[in-house]
Amino acid sequence: MRRLYCVAMVLMLAVGLSGTADELVVYTYDSFVAWGPAQEIKEKFEETHPGTELVWIAPGDSSEMLSRLLGELELGLPTADVFLGAADVEVPRALDHEAFLPLEPQLITNLKYVPDDIRLQDDAYVVPYDYGYVTLVYDAEALPDEHVPTTLEDLLHPELADKIVLQDPRTSSPGLSFLLWTIAHFEEGWTDFWRELLPNVLTVTRGWTESFEMFEAGEAPIVVSYSTDEAYSYIVHGDLRYRVLTPSGEGYRQVEYMGVVRTTDSPDLAHSLLDIVLSHQVQELIPTSQWMFPANQDADTPADFQEHAIVPENPVALDMDAVEEKLEEWISEWQRILVES
Amino acid sequence: MAADFGRKLDARRWAGWALALAPLAFLAVAFFSPLWEVLRRGLLVEGQWSTDLLRAVLADQYVRHLLSFTLRQALLSTLLSLVLGFPLGWLLTRYSFPGKRSLKALTLVPFVLPPITVALGFVLFFGHAGHLNQALMWLLRLSEPPIRLLYSLWAIVLAHAFYNAPVVARFVNVAWEAQDPALTEAARVLGAGRLRSFITVTIPGLFPAVLSALALVFVLCTLSFAIPLALGGARYATVEVGVYLLARVYVDLPRTAALAAVVLGISLLLTYLYLRGGGLFHTLSSADRRQPTVPLACRRHPARLLWLGYLIPAGVVFAGPIAAVIADSFLRAAPGGASPTLHWYRLALSTDTSALLGASPLGSITTSVAVAAAAAGGALALGVAISASLRAVRSRVLETVLMAPLGVSSVVLGLALLLAFRRPPLSYLPPGPWPLVLAHVLIVYPFVVRSIRPLWQSLDPSLVEAARTLGATRREAFGSVELPLLKPGLLVAGALAFALSLGEMTAAAMLARPGLNTIPLAIYQFLSARRFGAASAMATVLMVVTAVAVLLWERLGRVGEAAEQ
Repeated sequence: MRRLYCVAMVLMLAVGLSGTADELVVYTYDSFVAWGPAQEIKEKFEETHPGTELVWIAPGDSSEMLSRLLGELELGLPTADVFLGAADVEVPRALDHEAFLPLEPQLITNLKYVPDDIRLQDDAYVVPYDYGYVTLVYDAEALPDEHVPTTLEDLLHPELADKIVLQDPRTSSPGLSFLLWTIAHFEEGWTDFWRELLPNVLTVTRGWTESFEMFEAGEAPIVVSYSTDEAYSYIVHGDLRYRVLTPSGEGYRQVEYMGVVRTTDSPDLAHSLLDIVLSHQVQELIPTSQWMFPANQDADTPADFQEHAIVPENPVALDMDAVEEKLEEWISEWQRILVES
Repeated sequence: MAADFGRKLDARRWAGWALALAPLAFLAVAFFSPLWEVLRRGLLVEGQWSTDLLRAVLADQYVRHLLSFTLRQALLSTLLSLVLGFPLGWLLTRYSFPGKRSLKALTLVPFVLPPITVALGFVLFFGHAGHLNQALMWLLRLSEPPIRLLYSLWAIVLAHAFYNAPVVARFVNVAWEAQDPALTEAARVLGAGRLRSFITVTIPGLFPAVLSALALVFVLCTLSFAIPLALGGARYATVEVGVYLLARVYVDLPRTAALAAVVLGISLLLTYLYLRGGGLFHTLSSADRRQPTVPLACRRHPARLLWLGYLIPAGVVFAGPIAAVIADSFLRAAPGGASPTLHWYRLALSTDTSALLGASPLGSITTSVAVAAAAAGGALALGVAISASLRAVRSRVLETVLMAPLGVSSVVLGLALLLAFRRPPLSYLPPGPWPLVLAHVLIVYPFVVRSIRPLWQSLDPSLVEAARTLGATRREAFGSVELPLLKPGLLVAGALAFALSLGEMTAAAMLARPGLNTIPLAIYQFLSARRFGAASAMATVLMVVTAVAVLLWERLGRVGEAAEQ
């Protein structure tokens, strides 16, 4: 018996003592670490600030991670120093909860390369690091030409039963952007559209990663994803197997932001990280790793990317104030439709 | 003389209450006070007791859907467990065949197999691009996957049946073997046909056992967490998953607390009903004669080959997912087939922090093992103290209070501890996995009490009396007489506690934070990122560690039995 206790105590001590070095903890979403330039950012940051370790934490998609941050702040639990990956439509929620410290833009020198139209509220709390367009993507080898939808309404065709994968707008920013897109497109009729769409949906995943992996594994041939996926298909797989659909030339514009969490002990290091993310060196990696458009307009993008990354002719984006006002109502309506289906 | 005896009995009672003090104090701090905080948050509106929040939550369509889905899937899962489990119980009782002992031992596996490994196995085996569909598409030359099970309600129901059919089979088998064969023989002698004697004699005799098994399965499926979380997508969620999502994913604390109050009510009610109904099963008379068995494979009875119609699909459902997990942990997808690799194990034993896990994979393993060891130690200490005081004081109230965590859903317990660790006294604990250790102690100690109490009751009191007569103090008598006799039972209970803590995911999901992650959570995180190789390697590690604990448990148990004889 005593031996068991001793073993337990030693193990507990070992667990308790680990992880006490200087750390800057950054919350982001899973795909930024799996795909994006997270490793390069970490290397560059640790090179600039020897002795401090940058720790990425990303066990979920963006809205889920933001909820986690807000929950931890509300409960007074230990949490991140920096949050990277709040989509524009999520920023009001974060600001309502006073999640971020007011920024000192003069500490982020690379901000001068970021165009005004994607910056928010004079950079008071958050700055953008990339943007893109949420669209539909299909697998040209798995979906017969005659079934390829050309409008959002085409998604309702019975041939597409169980062929569409999309994301939960409560946990995933592309999921939320897709929902807002249908609201912008159908206006009052969006609820009817969703009632008819859900029977064709194989599953609604918590995050983008799971849905895109399912798409790549051949579980379903249509997925809600980004307009840059044709460039991904061309550059990584060498062909245009994954095709981007911009029904009626549409796609929902999504700008992604980062901010410094209000409880951080190291605001200077946090600002420095934001500056590093906006540096040319990191921003030039965004197109072909994160598969988004870089926020830094001065950063070079590869020619293949420029050629195949599609910019929808009629980008859609709802008015931010309308989103802030109605989002909760829309989400609960969506939830109701989901569980009734 | 009588007064003297009465005083002695009184003294014993007082000693019992004194023994209960430490566990009561522990439960007050680590259990009742945190739980009270949850109820306060759910039922207190602006300082006034009110059912407003509760009513609002119950009127919420999403919550109603959670409740109705939870009950619907539990009912379907229970029925399917009966359909899959009853024939297995029958087979194990009535027939003899090679490998019967191993098959019987395998029915114990679900008690210790962590549910997340089953969920992973289902995704790998039944997925549209999974092993079964791939094999069928290749065999039947199909262009579309023929089995569309995953992402539907039926995936959850079948996974629950995978888990619980062996429970039903075990109950049926034990009850059937205890039935006196003379009963059916009498019916046959009196002219009843084989079928009639089966329906009018055998089946009614099995009723209490089957009902009791179904009640247990229903409770387990209602409070199921990992399987609906991993297989349900956004569409299907049980109330346990609902509390977790509201607390940790959507982060809506007032609604979480109110829903947690509802779930607490459900889990207490179900546990009470189950414990009340548990008596059903003990009414069995044990037979003097064993049930006769007949060989399964027999040339004179070709009809018995019909059993293959059950055994083959059941074998696929039971073995397929587990085999898929083990196989995928050693395979790496490559163009034109998969190649063998140890890559996933290197990854599972890596010390680099993985952003997906919020910890390093090896760190998740050591945390799991450390927490399980600490929880087993804590649960043993608590279990012995509680068994001792319940032995001295026969009080229903005390027993209910001391065993209360048994009736509380793990997700609610996790929420309670999550909130409690922000306030004194628990916030004074040094940093470490304490919330998880406490949660696991509370979840597993009732099982420890339930496994050592019968053993302790069966000890001959004259042994202690003899030691006392020879001059030992009560404490010395406990240390030198009772404890050595209880030791085998304690080791068994400790191993069971260790295995249960290792596989526990519900409270762990509520309490996880950066740097605090466990093996089941790592499996879930890898699974939801669809990194199947890594998830499978982790799941295989978990199964191996659990199997070692359980084998040790069985071996020690056997040594214990031998020692008793």
